[in-house]
Amino acid sequence: MNRHPRPGLALRAVTGLVGAALIGLSPAAEAAKVPSYAITKAKVITVSGAVIDNATVVLRDGVVVDVGPSVTIPKDARVIDGTGLTLTPGLIDAYSGAGMPAARPAGGGAGGGAAAAAPAPNPIAPASNIYERVRAADALKARDSGITTIVPVPREGLVFGAAAVMNLVGERPEGMVVKQNIALAASLTTLGQRYPGSLMGTMAFFRQALMDGAYHRAEMASYEKAPGGRRRPAFDPGLDVWADVASGALPLLLQTSRVGDLRRAFGLADEFKLKVVLAGNTQAFEEAALLKERKPSLLVSVNFDPPKAGGFFGGSDDDKDRAEIESAEKNPGALHKEGIRFALVSGFANDFLAGIRKAIEKGLPKDAALRAVTLTPAEILGVADRMGSIDKGKIANVVVWSGEPLTKEAKIKMVFVDGELYEPEEKPAGPPGGGPPRPGEVAGDVRAQIEVKR
Amino acid sequence: MKNPTFSKSALLFAALLASGFGIRAEAQDAVTAITNAKIMTVGPLGTIEKGTILIKAGKITAVGADVAVPPGATVIDAAGRVVTPGLIDAHSHTSIEDNVNECTNIVTAEVRVADVLDPKDINLYRELAGGLTAANVLHGSCNSIGGQNATIKLRYGAPSGDALLFQGAPPGIKFALGENPKRASFGGGARRYPATRMGVEVSIRNAFLEAKAYKKEWDDYEAAVKAASAKRPAKGAPAAALPPAPRKDLQMQALKEVLEGKRLVHAHSYRADEILMLINVANEMGFKIATFQHVLEGYKVATEIAKHGAGGSTFSDWWAYKEEAYDAIPYNAAIMASHGVLVSLNSDSDELARRLYWEAAKTVRYGGVSEDEAFKMVTLNPAKQLRIDKWVGSIEVGKDADLAIFRSHPFAPDTRVEMTLVDGKVLFDRSKDVAARKGVAATLGGGQ
Repeated sequence: MNRHPRPGLALRAVTGLVGAALIGLSPAAEAAKVPSYAITKAKVITVSGAVIDNATVVLRDGVVVDVGPSVTIPKDARVIDGTGLTLTPGLIDAYSGAGMPAARPAGGGAGGGAAAAAPAPNPIAPASNIYERVRAADALKARDSGITTIVPVPREGLVFGAAAVMNLVGERPEGMVVKQNIALAASLTTLGQRYPGSLMGTMAFFRQALMDGAYHRAEMASYEKAPGGRRRPAFDPGLDVWADVASGALPLLLQTSRVGDLRRAFGLADEFKLKVVLAGNTQAFEEAALLKERKPSLLVSVNFDPPKAGGFFGGSDDDKDRAEIESAEKNPGALHKEGIRFALVSGFANDFLAGIRKAIEKGLPKDAALRAVTLTPAEILGVADRMGSIDKGKIANVVVWSGEPLTKEAKIKMVFVDGELYEPEEKPAGPPGGGPPRPGEVAGDVRAQIEVKR
Repeated sequence: MKNPTFSKSALLFAALLASGFGIRAEAQDAVTAITNAKIMTVGPLGTIEKGTILIKAGKITAVGADVAVPPGATVIDAAGRVVTPGLIDAHSHTSIEDNVNECTNIVTAEVRVADVLDPKDINLYRELAGGLTAANVLHGSCNSIGGQNATIKLRYGAPSGDALLFQGAPPGIKFALGENPKRASFGGGARRYPATRMGVEVSIRNAFLEAKAYKKEWDDYEAAVKAASAKRPAKGAPAAALPPAPRKDLQMQALKEVLEGKRLVHAHSYRADEILMLINVANEMGFKIATFQHVLEGYKVATEIAKHGAGGSTFSDWWAYKEEAYDAIPYNAAIMASHGVLVSLNSDSDELARRLYWEAAKTVRYGGVSEDEAFKMVTLNPAKQLRIDKWVGSIEVGKDADLAIFRSHPFAPDTRVEMTLVDGKVLFDRSKDVAARKGVAATLGGGQ
């Protein structure tokens, strides 16, 4: 996809268009062509500080160069009248499926067509780069929800590889990378017919991998010290990554879905002195006391009803599932009430904004919700020095809303990523006149989800 | 034990940790007294027709007919009730989160049940309601050498899985013979070696050959380190170079501990031939089998089992659910016991675990076991099999206050458990349960 920026009616000065001509240019060259913008008379929720009414924000060369009630507007800037509009930092989805291939249905691939012929990705790939698996065009669609930055994670597998913070801009995944290798991403999951096929096995797998990583590092170092007369040890790129995790140099971004996974992750962290970032945690409020004590880097999913794997004796308990969904919806609010710091993430949910709204509806204050999808994830990901708030010097990731941000009435008018403007298409909002839908018509935003049962 | 001082302090620390969630709130010097009870001690004091048990800091501090209740003690009047040691289930899969089996390999000695215990599993509460206070939580029987077990106390609602662990219990491991590891009982699914009883035997022998080589590698390394550190280098000379450490392998480590006698082998088995096979392999490789589990044909080879020193943990009367379970008889427990095998009766089931006392009663009917010996099969005998009998299994001064209070003799058809204590803490109280049920019923009724 290579959308032309569509300067909307709000643009007072329309100069030359950029867009298709940018294909093939380096990110730096691309950035140089991006015009400067000044959004005036807007309400600015900086997140880092106070809310500024009637303020101007200047974006230039991919950076917020000025913000405040009285700033000098550069001559070459396109001025956007922000009257009645609200600006927030771009939303950060720190555990996202955006741009990642959909989960493969079980048994697919046999005798199928071209799509089915694609080989299954290796579920254990510590030495791989996740950003290389991102389909840029798909990922960019997340901007429609005001998301400017993602940490993409594959939907399936055990050890995913190096995680990256990516801005939703440009054509190629490598050009989107803001920070590469922030962590080794992995999941406390199981692989069915392949080892590990049980949670016990998964724990054993992680232990052995960490031990082997450290052993491999020591072996290489020992050879380096005195190579003479010794057989050269074989280099293993996967174990080399595990060595970084085992030494604490590289955090482990671990998907922790079950309540008990928190303690399992802390157990591994304590045993091997790891730095961990924990993602998922839809029932984490049950361990509030533990979280207050440990203060982990916590990513809390708004995917309140994730698909469940069938257990050994199969069968799901409908009442239990319903109760779990309801408590997951209350989870962010409950954690906030306890004073526990966390970022909200989509966790592969189809509609991040809907999940955030549900969390607000069930008790999470709106301002806390906004922080949980902007500055807090930036802090947890180690990029708060460049994003997460609307501050001078930070990356120009800004969302322009009409209506109150994160409410159902809110509309996303513009999304700036690295200072580049994107305007989501207006979605038809029901039949004209606001009456009940006519036969054959559907009101509002309806999504259908087809679930393939295993 | 080489260093008794250290071990004692380690045990004390462990006990404090273990009791932290429940006992800490209460003063350590608070005394609980169970009075006017018929006490089946299953210990040297036999059965006391009317007596008192004193509990302090989770331990039994006094038991007898003439025990004075200190002032200020919390009194549980058990007049007309029967107090017994808490029951112990030597074969359970209770409170395991996710899969009971790591089925993907023939040998999975590296996986640990302790990693996946769920202290909020409602089955723990239901088992407490049957007087159960400890269980041997085992890996499944999918592979010839399965994962590491967890001996737990049923501290339902404890803050973590670790808080369930029975401190001081030696570690163990699950082995499995016959149809399950050769996957004959599992239609479809992935096939993997072994597919025959021959293959099961070879897979165990191979694993131990590998483990012996691993053990030698580590023993040699540790000896070399010791020798190097004993040899003081001359002043100024560089310290003697240490040999490179071998790679640590969690799977081999567990089998090395079996060879060193530090890890108990609990072997799922049915047929007499496979029981003899494992005894032969164990003798050849130099390890001991702690218990044969299920062991439905144990009565055919009871002498051999006793000679090896293994215990037998069997079902009372559950059989014919698969081909290898057809030659079972309800006299199995009695016959094994009469041949010198230490016998326990287990559940292998969260449901059956709630009424193990009646399982024991059946051995009185089938095989004429005395009532006292029968009750040992669900208390002291499993405690001995799990090597936790210095803490539990009988009511004796110094042992843990893990107790069940029955309405009548535990073998009586109308009996039921009124109260269950773990570490001196009441974790099941039937009167409170019944009251809570009324509350739940009212809530449901009012909501409609």
